[in-house]
This record gives sequence, C-alpha cells and structure tokens, in this order.
Amino acid sequence: MIYKHLKIKSIATILFMWMTLTLSAAVSADAGKELFKNNCAACHSKDMRSAATGPALGGSQARWADDVALYKWIRNSQAMIQSGHPRSVELWNQYKPTVMTAFPKLTDDEIGSLLAYVNGVYDGTYGPKKDVAAGAGAAVKTEEKSQLPLYLIIAAVLAVLALLLTKIISNLNQIAAAKDGEYVEAKTISQILTSKGVVTFLIFAAIILGAYTTVNKATELGRQEGYAPDQPIKFSHATHAGVNKIDCQYCHDSARRSKHSSIPGTNTCMNCHAAIKNGSAYGTAEITKIYASIGYDPATNKYIENYESKTEDEIKAIYTKWIGDEYKRVKEKADLDSEGERIVSTQWADIKKSLTNDRKKQIQGPIEWVKIHNLPDHVYFNHAQHVTVGKLECQTCHGKVEGMEVLKQMSPLSMGWCINCHRQTEVKFKDNAYYANYTRYHEELASGKRDKVTVADIGGLECAKCHY
Amino acid sequence: MKKQIDNIWIGQKDLTREDDFMNTAEKEFAEEQVSFADMTSNLSGNRRDFLKFLGFGLGAATVAAGCDIPVKKAIPYVVKPDQIVPGVANYYASTFVNGGDFCPVLVKTREGRPIKIEGNDLSPITGGGTSARAQASVLSLYDTNRFTGPKLKDGAGWKDTTWVELDKIVSTTLQSSRNIRLITNTNMSPTAKKAMTEFTTKYPNAKVVTYDPVSCSALLDANQKNFGTRAIPTYKFEAADVIVSFNADFLGSWISPVEYAAAYAKGRKIDDITKAKMSKHIQVESHMSLTGSNADNRILVKPSQQGVAVAHLYNEVVGAGVSVTGLNDKAKKALTKIAGELKSTSGKSLVVSASNNVNEQLMVNAINHALGNYGATIDFSTPSYQRQGNDAELKACVEEIKAGSVDLLLVCGANPVYDSAFGKELADSLSKVKNKISFAQVNDETTDLCDVVAPNHHFLESWGDVEVKKGHYSLIQPTISPLFSTRQAELSLLVWAGSTGVDVTKEQPYYEYLKESWKSGMFGGQSEFSTFQSFWDSVLHDGVYSSGSGSSPSYASAEIGSDITKPSASEVEISFFETVHMANGQYSGNPWLMEMADPVTRTSWGNYLAVPVNFDGVRTMVGLNDLVDGDLVELTIGTKKMVVPVVQQFGQMHGTVSIALGYGRTQAGNTGSNVGVNVNDCLTMGPNGPAYYNTSATVSAKTGKEDDFSCVQYHHTIGVKGIDKESGKEINADEAALVFFDYFTGVKGFQGALTDRSVIYTSNVTELKGRVEHLQERRKHAQHLNAQQIYGGFDDMYSLGHHWGMHVDLNACIGCGACTVACMSENNVPVVGKHEVSRHHEMTWLRIDRYYYGDVENPNTIYQPMMCQHCDNAPCENVCPVNATNHSSEGLNQMAYNRCIGTRYCANNCPYKVRRFNWLDYTKADIWPANQPRLQEESVPFMADNLTRMVLNPDVTVRARGVIEKCSFCVQRIQEGKLTAKTEGRALRDSDVRTACQTSCPTGAITFGDMNDKKGALHAKLESPLNYIALEEINVRSSVTYTMKVNNRDKSLDA
Repeated sequence: MIYKHLKIKSIATILFMWMTLTLSAAVSADAGKELFKNNCAACHSKDMRSAATGPALGGSQARWADDVALYKWIRNSQAMIQSGHPRSVELWNQYKPTVMTAFPKLTDDEIGSLLAYVNGVYDGTYGPKKDVAAGAGAAVKTEEKSQLPLYLIIAAVLAVLALLLTKIISNLNQIAAAKDGEYVEAKTISQILTSKGVVTFLIFAAIILGAYTTVNKATELGRQEGYAPDQPIKFSHATHAGVNKIDCQYCHDSARRSKHSSIPGTNTCMNCHAAIKNGSAYGTAEITKIYASIGYDPATNKYIENYESKTEDEIKAIYTKWIGDEYKRVKEKADLDSEGERIVSTQWADIKKSLTNDRKKQIQGPIEWVKIHNLPDHVYFNHAQHVTVGKLECQTCHGKVEGMEVLKQMSPLSMGWCINCHRQTEVKFKDNAYYANYTRYHEELASGKRDKVTVADIGGLECAKCHY
Repeated sequence: MKKQIDNIWIGQKDLTREDDFMNTAEKEFAEEQVSFADMTSNLSGNRRDFLKFLGFGLGAATVAAGCDIPVKKAIPYVVKPDQIVPGVANYYASTFVNGGDFCPVLVKTREGRPIKIEGNDLSPITGGGTSARAQASVLSLYDTNRFTGPKLKDGAGWKDTTWVELDKIVSTTLQSSRNIRLITNTNMSPTAKKAMTEFTTKYPNAKVVTYDPVSCSALLDANQKNFGTRAIPTYKFEAADVIVSFNADFLGSWISPVEYAAAYAKGRKIDDITKAKMSKHIQVESHMSLTGSNADNRILVKPSQQGVAVAHLYNEVVGAGVSVTGLNDKAKKALTKIAGELKSTSGKSLVVSASNNVNEQLMVNAINHALGNYGATIDFSTPSYQRQGNDAELKACVEEIKAGSVDLLLVCGANPVYDSAFGKELADSLSKVKNKISFAQVNDETTDLCDVVAPNHHFLESWGDVEVKKGHYSLIQPTISPLFSTRQAELSLLVWAGSTGVDVTKEQPYYEYLKESWKSGMFGGQSEFSTFQSFWDSVLHDGVYSSGSGSSPSYASAEIGSDITKPSASEVEISFFETVHMANGQYSGNPWLMEMADPVTRTSWGNYLAVPVNFDGVRTMVGLNDLVDGDLVELTIGTKKMVVPVVQQFGQMHGTVSIALGYGRTQAGNTGSNVGVNVNDCLTMGPNGPAYYNTSATVSAKTGKEDDFSCVQYHHTIGVKGIDKESGKEINADEAALVFFDYFTGVKGFQGALTDRSVIYTSNVTELKGRVEHLQERRKHAQHLNAQQIYGGFDDMYSLGHHWGMHVDLNACIGCGACTVACMSENNVPVVGKHEVSRHHEMTWLRIDRYYYGDVENPNTIYQPMMCQHCDNAPCENVCPVNATNHSSEGLNQMAYNRCIGTRYCANNCPYKVRRFNWLDYTKADIWPANQPRLQEESVPFMADNLTRMVLNPDVTVRARGVIEKCSFCVQRIQEGKLTAKTEGRALRDSDVRTACQTSCPTGAITFGDMNDKKGALHAKLESPLNYIALEEINVRSSVTYTMKVNNRDKSLDA
C-alpha cells in the first residue's frame, strides 16, 4: 500500500513539473511577422506608420487598391517601374535611387500573410503597438514582460491545484486504508509541503534553474546588444544618414572592399565640414572638435601650418576665438558677454576632454571613437563579403542607423544570430559567375527541385568560414 | 659489409629498433603518463585549503562575471592615405639582402606593418622562390635586441647619444685618423658603393675591405686569372645532364641557392614517364650536406682529400699529370668513371667546387673549359656579384690592425670577430685601434668591442639597390617607417664624407641620393621610358630591372700551382659546414631560424657533432666510440676543447665527423647567444684564406648525455614497423591502440595488419616503368581494401563547389625548409625553445620528414613535406568529443580552436601525426606567468613583447594554451581568394589561392588548388602516374598527393 501511495505522489510531482516547464515555453510566431522580419524590416519601419529607407507600409493595400499590381510590385518593383505603372512610378520618383529588393520567391499566400501582418499592426489589431524601431530581440523581451504576470497567476493556480490534488489523493489513500482496516493519519498541508518529495523537487528545480541561468548568462558574457556609449563627438547618424541622406558607404568606404567597415578619417569629415561649420544641434561645440583634430582654421578656411608642433595654448587661442566669434555672429553682438564666455570655456573644455586621454596627451591627432561592434578575436568577419557579394543592406545587422541620434548596437552579434541568418539568407547565386561551379544546384534550380540556395547550402555554417 | 635496405628508414634508432624509440613511436605523445595517484600524492592540503580554493574560485568567477567589458577604441586616421584600406594587405616589391644573400621579395604589409615575405615572380633570377632566411627576415625587423638609437660605449654597456652628437664625434675622429679601414661583407649595391667611394675619396687614407663569412675567395681569384674578372659566373644547372659538385652545397648555402635550386629542380622533375630523363648529380664530400642528400651518388672523400679528388678528375678530363696520392681507391675509381661520362656529355655538364684553394678552383675551371661548359652550362656574360670577399685583403687588414697602424675601423654589415677566420686575432688586437665604429642593428661580437654604434636600418626600413648580376638590378624600398632612431649606413657615410650629393634636410635624404644615382646611371642605359619618373615608378613597382647582358670574356688558361689540399693520414678529420638556416651565425638571433630543424640532421637549437653510423646489417650498431644520439663528448680540435652533443649521421664518411658553423655566439641577442659551440677558430688556414676542415680532431668517448636533445628526427614518425613480442611477427608498430578482441577484454595491440605502409615510393630512373607498375598495383590493392570497408566515401558531396587538394612533387623538393618558416610566419605558429623541442613539443604545422633508403653506408635521401592531409574520412574528426575538428563541404579538415577542450584524442588518432598541442602558453595569449616558457632566460618572454607581436598575421587566430592546432591549408588565403573571385563576379582561378608553403618554395614542388577545377594546374598534376597518397591503404582519403621519388643513381659508381 505504501508503494501505491508513493506512486500516486510521484505522478503528482511529475505533473507539477510538467506544468511548470510548459509555462516557460516560447510564444508562437506568426508567419507574416516572420516574413516581415526576414525580408522587410531592414528597410520598412516596424510601426507601419513612419517612413524609413522604404515607405511606411501601413495602409499600402488601400493606397494601391489593385492587389495584383501590389503583389507584382513586391516581387519585382523595378519591372513595374519600367512598365510604367502609375503608382509604381510615383513611388520611384519619391524614393529613387533606392531600389527595393526583389522577392520573386514569395508566394501569394506569403504575401497575403505579410499584408495581414502589416494591416494588423497598422490598425492595432495585432500585437503591441509600441514596438517602435526595436530589433527582434527587444520585441521578444517586451512580449515576455507583458505576459509574465499572467504566467505567474497560472503557476500559482496550478500550484494550488497540485496541492489540492495531493491533499485529495492523500485523503483518498486514507479512506482506502481505513477500508482495509488500517489507520493512516491524514497529512496537513504543511506536512505535504515539508515532505521529502516536495523538498527534493524544489531543490532539484532550483539547481536546474540555477544552472540554466548560469549557462545562459555565461554565454551572453561579452555580448553588448544595445550598447550605446558616449562618443568623443556627439555625432548623429540621424542627421547625417537620416536627414541629409548621406550614403553609409560614403564615410564607411572600406565596407565594400575590406573586412573592416572603418571609421572615416578626419579628412573625410572635412569634405563637408570645411563648409558646414555650425551643427544643427550643437552649433560649434562638436564640429570644432574635427577642426582641432586635423588643424583647420574655420575662420580663414585654411589648414594651419605646422599644426603638429603647436602648443595647447596656441590651439586654444585659435579655437576659442572661433567659438566666440561665431557666438557673436549668431547672437548679433559686438562683444562677448558673460554667457558667451561661459559657452566658449565649456566648449573648449569639452574639446580638450574629447580629444585627449591618458595615452594621448595632445589635442592634435586622431579622434578616438569608442568601438561599439566588437567581435571576439577568434571570429573572422568580412564586411566586403556581406556588402559587396551578399548585397545586404547595412541596416540588416546595424538596424535603423539613420534614425539613431546616438549609435546603438542593435544585434547581439552572437554566433546563433549569425548562423540563423546564414540559414535563411539566399545567396545571390544566379548573378555571380563565381557560383557557376555549383552545377548541381543550378540544375536543381532550373528543374524547380530547389527554390533557393541559402548561405548554409554552400557551407555557410561551417567552422572554418569564420574561425581560423 | 655492404648492406642494402629495400625500404626507407628514418635513422639509426629506426634501423636498430631501439626500445625507447619504439615506445615513443607507439604513442602520439612522448610524455610519460602520469597516474592520478602520482598527481595527488604530490598535493598536500586539507579541508581548509579546499575551502580556500573554493572561495577563491567562486570569488574570481563572480568578479570576472561582474566586470564591465573593457571599452575598446576605434582610432581612424587623421588623413587617411589613399592606398591604405584597413583590413586589406598591400604588397611592396623589395629585396632581401644580407651580405651575399639575395632574394627579390614582395613584402606583405597590413595597416603599415610588414608581416610576411613572398617571392617576387618577376625576378628572372629566382622566379619567385624564397629561402628560409628570406622568409624569416621579417621577424628580425621586430627584434627586441635592436639598438634603439646611436650609442657610445660606456664601460661594459652603452649610453645613448644623439645623431648630431655622434656626427660631431665621428668627424673629429675622421680628421685625425691616419689609416681608416671599412670592413664589410659582400656589397652588391651600386649606390652604396658610390657612397663608399665618396667616403674614400674624401678620406684617401680609407680603404674598404670585403670578406665573406664563408669564403669564396679562391673561386673569385681563379676566375680573375682565367677570365680577367673577379666575379662568379651564372651556373645553369637546368642545362646540365651531369652535375659534379666538390663539396659545394649549392642547394642550401653556396652562393645563390634559391636560383640554383629552381634551375636544378627543372632537370629533376619528371613530367612524362615514357620519356623520363633526369640530370645525374654526383656530390663529392665527407659529410651529408643538403645538396649531397639530394645527389644521386655521393663519392665519399675526406676533407683533406678534396684537393686530390679534383686533381684526379682534372687529370682524367684534361689529360694532365698532376700527382695524385692519398685519394681513396673507391673515390678514384668512381671519379675515373665520371670523367668518362663527363667527356661524353660535353657542353652538357657542370663541375663546381666549394674549395677555397685557388689551384683547385683553377683545375675546376680547366675541367669546365675542357668539357666545353663555358657558354653552355656556365654563362660569364652575366657574372654574379653575390660573393666579393677577398681573404688576402682581410688578412692584410688584420695584420695592419695587429701592427697598430689602423686608427679608425668602421664595421658595416659584418661581424669579423665572430665569423671571419681571423676572429680571434681581431678580438685580441682590436684594442690597438683607437676608434671603432659599428653600423650593426643588433649588438654582436664585433660591435661589442667598438666605441660608437651608428645603427643601420633594417632592410625593410631602407632604401637601396642591388646589382646581383651584371645588368640585373633590384630595388629595396622601405615598407615601414623606421621603428627606432636608426640611420641608414650609407647615409651615415655620406654625411661623414660631407657629400654634396645628399641633402640632409630632406625627409629621406638617401632616397633622393639613390634616385639621383639611378637617374645618372641605369636610366641612361634603357630606351623604354622617356622620363625618369616613369622609369623609376616602373622599376619600383616591379622591384627588378634587367638591362640586358654583356659579352662573355673568353677563357685564358692560367698556370696551376702545385699547392693543393694535402691528404692527411689523421684518423679523424672534421669538416665545418654552413647550414641552410644559420649561415655562419648571421641569423642566429632569429628565433624562427633557430628553431627550424636542420634539414639533414634535423636538429635545432645548437650544433651537433655528426658522427658516422656503422651498421652491421643485423640491427646492431657499432658506431664511432659507440656514440649514440644525444651523447655528450669532448671534441678536441687542435688545442681547443669543447663539449658537444652527438648526432649519428648516415652518409657521414668513416674517419670523419662534421659540425655546423654559426653557433656558439656570445653576443646574438636573446635567442642566439650561447647556443652550441663556435668552431670558426678551428678552421685550417691556407696561405691566404681558410679551409673549412681540420685534420687534427679527436672525439672522446661518451662523457654524458645532453639534457635537452633537440633533434626532431624521431618525433612524429609514421609507418614504423616492429616485432610483435608475442607472435614474433613483423607488425605495424606505428601506433598502439586498445583493441577489443571480444566483448570484455581490451588488449593493447597495433591496429591494422598491414606492415607495408605506403609512406614513400622510390625508383631508379632506369627502372621507372616497372616501379610505376608496382606503384599502381599497390594503389589498386589499397583501393581494393578500402572498397571492402563500409565507409561510403561521400565523394559526390565534394563534387560541388571547391574541393581543395595539394600535390607535392618529391622530385622537386630539396628539403630546404623555406616552406616551414613561411608556414610559421603566415600562421602565427609559436616558437617553443630548446627544452620544449626536446620534449617533442615543437609546434610546426608543416614538417619535412627526412628518410633514407638504399645503401646503409651511403644512402639516398628523400624529403617529404608532411602537413595535415585534410582527409575526407578523417580519423581525428570522429574522436573529438566536442566536434571542434570537423569537415567542411570543401574538403577541409577544420579546427575550431575555441571549441577545443584539449583532450588530444584527435592527435592520438592522426596517422600522419600532424596535430600539435599547445602544452604551454607559447604565444602568450593568457596571463599566467607559469605557463609562459622562456626561450633563453629572456626577461620578457618571446612573443609577449608588443614589438615582436607586430609580426603576427591579424587574419589568423593566436592560439591559447591547451588547444590543438594544425595545418589549415591556409584557409585564410582560401577565403580571401574566394572573396576576390566573388567580388569580381568570376570563377576562381589558381592564382587566387596559393598557400604560404607553395609561394615560398624555390623549386615549385608544391601545387595547391581546387581538385574540382578540371582546367586548373593541380588537376594537371594529379594526372601523373607517379602519384600516390601516403597511407592510402588506411582509407582516410587524404587530399594530399605525393609523387614517387625518382633517382638517377649509378650503381656502378658504388662498386
């Protein structure tokens, strides 16, 4: 009888465990959302209301009216433009030369679910509306948060249920025992809670949970998703890439030909800032740092001779004068008032602080930016492969940089994240003669046996592609 | 008794099946197994200690986890140079020159740092080949021992000074000096010579004295007599059917080995076996040189018999009657026969000699003249200036110094106190010279006795030019701005000479001077370019320029004196030789070269006395004084006694021993100092110059055992056979394994019953047809066996995309070791030091196995470069518990270091033994000092220094302690090549991906490529019927193919 007793007890315990585990399972994903994330999110805003690289998608079905044309447009926008379709041409005129990536492989169903997702988000019937411009990771997190109380309630209910069940079982056992003429003392709730089985389970659960968390946290050590440090210059990508629409690769010119995307040299800044001397947000405060780095005198529009050998006082004289003069010009004042003097001295202090540090004592010389996207030393990543060969948008990994006032790391840059993309991303297979030696894939593509070749198909998941 | 061994052997221990060798051959790791009980018995501790460690561990982990990630900076240029793209390598054509060593190179720079040397394909002389010395030269740029600026002697040390101060001191000294002598090694730079001429014109009492660390003076003097020009002709080894070399190590160290190796290999490769033809190479020597090991026949003569050997051949060919006494009969007979062969191949033969005796060289010239070789295999229209030393001049200079008549001595790119034959005399008498100025980059024995150091740039920081042969020029251009406050020696001379041609206010005064020199010189000699700038740009881009050759001087016979090397009756003679990596000590400060094993003896970190091997034919040895590898003996040469370790050397003539030059330096930085013994003061002095042997040598019986016997000969062996102790049968004893005979008992046994392992195939060129059939049968048999196994092959998997493979032509490989150093340089392979090497811990990804075959007393040699074979059915991959090593779809055996947990199962399971384990923190990637081995008691461990670390290749991970590493087929180059093809939107070409070993090879022995590319160079090579796969019978499906080694040995010469 004791045997039977134990059995029922352990079944209850297992039931309880199972229920707890089910609670931690992930939420289900919607097909359209997944498609949007993989194909569209790089260029189209997730709130469906604001324009990004591409226009806001909310209400597009209404604007197009004709679904057939819209489907065609999504599959190959350039063909539509060339055919002279009025809505297409209108959009092209608005957004050229940015070309929308063609998605010839999307099925009608897929586009249908995409549009369903777009409409859902637009009219607020799908998911949380506040999910603005955040990456996939952030989105998952908010969802987790919003559902946590619910889980807790369910867990509590289930725990009570389990407790009640155990109590009932124990009572039943007692009755059964009484029937057999034995007497078993009924267990109180507190007895059950402190029974060996429950305590063992709790310890076991705590160890599992602790180990799980430790491993996860350990894996995440060194990852810096969301990292947005202060930079020596309050450089705004929103102003440069967003408002002024400067192409990413104008400044990050190595991205197409090197492993590094490279931070531009000060001389690249000077291409524009020889003329643009006042910033829209900070006036002279930030732009003067460029001049102090390279030795440009904005007052005379000339590079300063022998700038390298100038003393700090000489440099200070040049640039405090410039800041003061600009203040007077903007405020239309003849003399520097106390407010002006305060501005000059704080701006100069900031320039000095930004351009010098423990190792670099002098103001002249390179601007030491804080590196945001850091990969471990044993990882080889090549920008050219992704930008030139893979023809990826910068935003795919870096997020909507053109909307960032302070640059922030959008992606975890974890191996799982890389691998996932390699599994899903299609290789630009047909347009590149390099891939001609993959004859079997070409045959399979032609015969329709295969609909696409992903990076993983050509070995993109193998160790020595990134680790050597 | 003569004993012919049909199979290959590795060395004496292999032949005798010595117990300790057989035991290590069974295991991948030489270490004694330490049992858990042993480990724990040494531990003392109690519960308190345990809690302390636990607490510390937890605390450390918490602190580590709580730490912020360090802020990393990204620092761009202020003004970015147009030609630099961060992350993309730039290549600059330059020239590696060190005295007479010459190699046109391309310098790979990353973000302004030179990190790798490649050969320059445009050079008509080397054709893109390199040497180990050239490959390693980039490391010497980052030598922490370099002088950081001008120095003045201050007691035993140095004190800093400024260039202005130094110039002031020197100019006062120059004014007041009666006799000024400038000692240099061979100087091939026309512009540097011009600068020296300006100097000697300004100071007429100054004289330039040139010598070579290993003298070629007699050859030059003989040519002066016969041709009126003191130069070295161009030897065309490719055009010769019969090559006779008297002790000249032309493939390793004699004059221009890179050039000669390329030419030599042309005559040795077999493209079509039906028309197999190869040159016949006969080496006359006593010790096994690199060249001798490649020869078809070696005629053994004692060093003192070299003279009469030449004289005998001279008599036979020319018909003269020089008296020949004391030559051993066997050599005499063989030389007579060779003479007949030489005469029948008139105009298609070549005789060279390394002798430093003028009369012998005159005889060699007369032989070549009589054979009609001048104009055919020897070209005097483009004489080479790679050796210019004059022993007589040096001797005279030393006499002057001894007499106290020299007031000022300048030492430029030379170290005569150590490496000249008059070193000891110089060291003793240098105090008589009032002022001594050295231009050395690193302190050396000579500089240490000087008062002033005006340190020269490294060649990678210098401007310069080289006229290696008449009309063949190369340029040297800087690839990094000088790391230290050094000044080019030529500029120092010009400044001191008060030259009007140099403007010191310019940023690079010597550059302007050089350009001016070319404008007035070489520019006028060409008609292709109309402006100097376009001419200069073109030459600077190409790195080489040829203005065409002149006319050949005709041979004029000269009287041959009777003074030739006299045979000695001494019981033991010793010969001294230059090795391919150390030269005469010029490279001993370079850790890569110091650790590189000598190709023949396969020893590193020290010079070993090579003693002959006596083999009785039944697996026992009766050696010289019963000496075996690693024994210490007392070697007495003349009056000098020294204790040296011994290595048993096959092919070393009985009654002779040999030892390498270039060791035992006292001032050679952290790496080179006090390694081995110095024998430069043991040379035999001829009337003018030294001869590299000594007849009064005695070798004692064993006095001890060397602590760290660093010979890699018996490490990582494959295909070893032994006798099974139980059955008495011959078995494959290569690697023991636990074999389960039934379900319960595990017995240590040897896997595979195959004793006939296909490591090497050999053939004589005359028996080629039959041997190739034999090879094909063996391969068919192996493939039949493989077909019986359940492994399916999955060949279709690799038919898609690329399938990387390699072909190694063993007939072209001469074993020079350039590839091994190139591999270290490219792949950040660590240097481990002598002690670690002795423990089998050398980290080389690419080793060159040396095997002997044939006659035990005078064997032939094979060099087999052995690297990861990238097996498509790799045994290592199956046993990795964490899948750190696995296979790519392109056929690469991948190694993910950060996944590796260091079980070493893979290394244990590798049949080729090419996997290396980081036992210690050789690259200083972690921070625990106890894990950091020192090479030579240096204060900061080698590679922990930021300067040294500048040489690292940023595209290759620096491995930490505790992981396995191995050849990756230069996967970083594969990826780079693929990316180039992809960005250009075209199919991959052979030239896109070339491995480091392939580009470094002077003979083109290595071909790498895509086996799926039917039009590629590799595919063509794979068609040869000589090809085989090492250990094909074990079905690992290796991606590396070797060729059968073919020799042209004339058995009648052995009789």
